[in-house]
Amino acid sequence: MDKQLLSMLVCPLCKGKLKYEKDAQELLCTFDGLAFPLRDGVPVMLEGEARRMSEEEKLEKAQKAAKEQAE
Amino acid sequence: MSEEKTTHFGYKTVATEQKQAMVADVFHSVAAKYDLMNDLMSFGVHRLWKRITIDMSGVRPGDQVLDLAGGTGDLTKKFARIVGPQGKVVLADINSSMLNVGRDRLTDQGYVGNIEYVQANAECLPFEDNSFDVITIAFGLRNVTDKDAALRSMTRVLKPGGRLLVLEFSKPTNPLMSKAYDLYSFTALPFMGKLVTNDSESYKYLAESIRMHPDQETLKSMMENAGLVRCSFHNMTSGVVALHRGIKP
Repeated sequence: MDKQLLSMLVCPLCKGKLKYEKDAQELLCTFDGLAFPLRDGVPVMLEGEARRMSEEEKLEKAQKAAKEQAE
Repeated sequence: MSEEKTTHFGYKTVATEQKQAMVADVFHSVAAKYDLMNDLMSFGVHRLWKRITIDMSGVRPGDQVLDLAGGTGDLTKKFARIVGPQGKVVLADINSSMLNVGRDRLTDQGYVGNIEYVQANAECLPFEDNSFDVITIAFGLRNVTDKDAALRSMTRVLKPGGRLLVLEFSKPTNPLMSKAYDLYSFTALPFMGKLVTNDSESYKYLAESIRMHPDQETLKSMMENAGLVRCSFHNMTSGVVALHRGIKP
């Protein structure tokens, strides 16, 4: 995914930064617990099309992000 | 029981949350023949309306441009040439069929490198504040459920000094033109739609939605309410189409 585009994209709900998960081809918003899919490389930034993360996944991803930031 | 919120879908009144899906069906149905239909319906004049939009945008090499509801990519193509390799054009549409047709067409014609594609809703754009020098929405605002929210969202993602251009059907300024236009759009358009796309309902929606769209002065004040300044409009083809422009302060 294009770096410049990634730096421009935010969550359409909270306008927070997104985490790009390359393997899953998803853009994660841990605040809203939404995973926006990339379909054929195109980010689908619609709430209705996003996967809802479980509470455990939300927590795990948020911790991981905090750890990465600390490093 | 609480009252259900309603909006218009052409002349029909529908629940607000239904409109988005109904508009989606229209564009999934017409995507493949969209460009051909535009040429037929407007006698090719839509190309001129779009060229004027580009001219009025003041776009320059290196600019960041958002072509919203950009569908099959007519404006994106022209913008991509002007902004060059240092600039970027984001083609965004809420409808996956329209976006796919646009991407395939532009890629086939060799437009790659400075164009990105995003599926997004104009009412809640997924971009950082102050991202774009130019935003265009051509024949798209009419189909958005909450137009005020969309205009606010566009204003948010414009850079200070950035320009929003809204190209949209409007209210004909001359009564004779208005009569001819009514006759044409309520009889000829659905008929052509039936012939070319086998879908007269979608083109009936087109004609009706144009009549329901805010007129020149109303849209201008909506843009001012969204926080844009120096808002103005230019009628084209006797007001069948109007180009509105506003600047983010």
